[in-house]
Amino acid sequence: MHSDRVVVVGAGPAGLEAARLAAELGSPVTLIEKKDVAGGMPIHADYAALTHHFRPASEAMAEMIDAVTSNDLVDIRTGTEITAVEGSAGEFSLTLTSNGSTQDLDAGAVIVATGFQHFDPGRETQQYQYYEYEDVITIADAEKMLKNGTFVTPSTGKPPERVAFVQCVGSRDRQIGNEYCSKVCCGISSKQAIEIREMVPDARVFIFYIDMRMYGYWENEIYWPAQEEHKVNYVKGIITEVLAKNGRLVVRGEDTTMGRPMEVIMDVVILSVGMEPSAGTRTMADLLGLPSNKYGFIDTDHDILDTVTTTVPGVFVVGAAVGPADLDDSISSAGAAAAKAVSMLRNAKVTV
Amino acid sequence: MGTEVSPKIDPSQVIEHETYELEGVDISGHWNRMFEQRVIFEYDVEQLDRVTELDGGESMGWCYQCSQCIGVCPVDIVGDYGPRKIYRKLQVGMDFFSSDDLWLCTTCGNCLRVCPKEVDMLQIMPAAREVAVLEGAVPAELQDVFEKTARYGNPLGKNPKRRTAWTRGLDVEVPIISELDRKVDVLWWVSDYPSYHPRGMEASRSLARVLTHLGIDFAILGVEERHDGDSMLRAGEEGLFEMLADQNIETLNKYEFDVLLTTDPHAYNSFLKEYPARGGEYNVEHYSTYLAARIEELGLSQEVGGKVTFHDPCYLGRQNGVYDEPRELIEALPGVELVEMWRVRQNGYCCGGGGGGMWLDGLAAEHQTMRLSEKRVLEAVETGADTLCVVCPYEVSRFEDAVKSTNNDGALKVRDISELLAQALGLASD
Repeated sequence: MHSDRVVVVGAGPAGLEAARLAAELGSPVTLIEKKDVAGGMPIHADYAALTHHFRPASEAMAEMIDAVTSNDLVDIRTGTEITAVEGSAGEFSLTLTSNGSTQDLDAGAVIVATGFQHFDPGRETQQYQYYEYEDVITIADAEKMLKNGTFVTPSTGKPPERVAFVQCVGSRDRQIGNEYCSKVCCGISSKQAIEIREMVPDARVFIFYIDMRMYGYWENEIYWPAQEEHKVNYVKGIITEVLAKNGRLVVRGEDTTMGRPMEVIMDVVILSVGMEPSAGTRTMADLLGLPSNKYGFIDTDHDILDTVTTTVPGVFVVGAAVGPADLDDSISSAGAAAAKAVSMLRNAKVTV
Repeated sequence: MGTEVSPKIDPSQVIEHETYELEGVDISGHWNRMFEQRVIFEYDVEQLDRVTELDGGESMGWCYQCSQCIGVCPVDIVGDYGPRKIYRKLQVGMDFFSSDDLWLCTTCGNCLRVCPKEVDMLQIMPAAREVAVLEGAVPAELQDVFEKTARYGNPLGKNPKRRTAWTRGLDVEVPIISELDRKVDVLWWVSDYPSYHPRGMEASRSLARVLTHLGIDFAILGVEERHDGDSMLRAGEEGLFEMLADQNIETLNKYEFDVLLTTDPHAYNSFLKEYPARGGEYNVEHYSTYLAARIEELGLSQEVGGKVTFHDPCYLGRQNGVYDEPRELIEALPGVELVEMWRVRQNGYCCGGGGGGMWLDGLAAEHQTMRLSEKRVLEAVETGADTLCVVCPYEVSRFEDAVKSTNNDGALKVRDISELLAQALGLASD
């Protein structure tokens, strides 16, 4: 039996936008979220300001959530997972599980917006001693502190004098198996560096990088202001080791443009961890029979003119479930998928 | 070349030194670069192609200049060197096969550990060095060792008949397997430095006493033993390695034994990773792991005392994952406190002896502010330890020389773990 319903899986930025637009176009939408609260990674990981316009994440996400809850065509199911899928485009039958009880739901189209997880810097190697030293943190840990409004050296609770970002942790790495660039970390580190400089004006902040990948307006909106106005120091050459000496952290590596080894003291080392597919992304790929690439992200048809259509008719994939994506990318792909899903269902109805 | 360089300056006559003293005056600095052509007029990437075309050389072309290797390269710490720098030099036309850069790598493997592109110097170096070996472009000091090893079966150029000299007058019996005419539990592969070097011989005598104390049924090959070949292979002499390996396999296959016990981590590495492909498969163990499994049986009772620091051999630790067992032995020594240096285990600093470095001190000295072994000794002294414990026969002599040259004579002793164990057992010493 034909269903008009668009089911969106995952209520992060991409899922919220896909649900909002599909409903605005007049389709009934069910938005499924495994966690008890909508908002995705910006809410669950306590993001402070969003890259690149520095808008508070909680405020921006509240606005996105409000846009779907205020539309009667959207049914939000939090604390709910999809545990089985049957049928095909126009007549999917989904099994939803919530608090141990199951329920069936019909769907005409499915939009997968299950996103990413942060790379765990202790998973493959302990190169940067993340689990060894309290003052080695990730950009996700730093976001939490920035959101709380106090940036300190974790072990002392005091404002740091020297902070180092280490770029490309868990990205662009054959040994770890994540060969791709995670796209957003250069911008996020620079954004955080600005926030740290504002919060702790006496702190010296360094960003150690291989290549700064500040595409488009990130260059003039984040990178240049960070360097020129906020006095963030960019050093080309990645850190190889974080060691402890006399109770402080020492970062070791090479300053490549100077061609000299460097060995400098830091109070806080922030690992700029990249993106990996979330558990939900892997699960949905399995349930829906979607091919994944070798990293576990869901494959689209790989036509550059269509970034959201999968090889399974009626199933679309958006945001960071496809691969590393910033918010702009995620929102754009969500809109494209909503429009494609709704038009597919309308056209199918006309044909019937 | 797009532009003529001034004929008054012959580039080949210009030498730039990182640090330089002229008639007692320090004239270190980059001012002398002014005599060199500064502008890059060509990227002669053919030189890079020559390396990447080699079997094993492919990954040289994968470098994306992240520079993680430089942070852990033991040579860069005392000089100006490392995989990512080699890549850049190759891009601007360095002839790798005639360059000193070809010989400075100790194949310690720390760069590969951190390389996100898996640029593998452990493959690249032997492959590129082999080209130089075939072209006859080998540093004289190393060539001399190749020839001695080929002729005498050991890199020291010692008389092969005197391989068992260290057992003479020893208070315990060290049986030769060919004279036993039976299977033994343990065949001990003694190696060259423990057979010939005065300090190595002392360590061997200690290990013989410890094995005897444990009641191990062991024997050695005696004059039939030859160099294992591993370091020759890393230094680019694959032909010599193959000859030695085949001779050694032929010898070993004549005898029956359960365990092949090695003193030398380089031999251990080869028996594990290289010999099986040539028909030599053995149950090989390094003496540190073998003894660590028998700590209880050893019954260490005599006070040794003091602070001991431990140097991880590259070919035991990083290359083969043995980190804990030598430390367990040290910690079992009565009254001893183990203190760690800051570059240990996976990040252990290289002594400079691997990959042919053992026999390239002359060449290395032209490019380094100090020897790697000297750097390591200074790190050991910094811990406040009175003893630097080693489990690799390349190290006793290297570190003892370094203790003297860094004026730490009397402040730091270098001792093989066998010597410390023998002391803790109250066994005779030399």
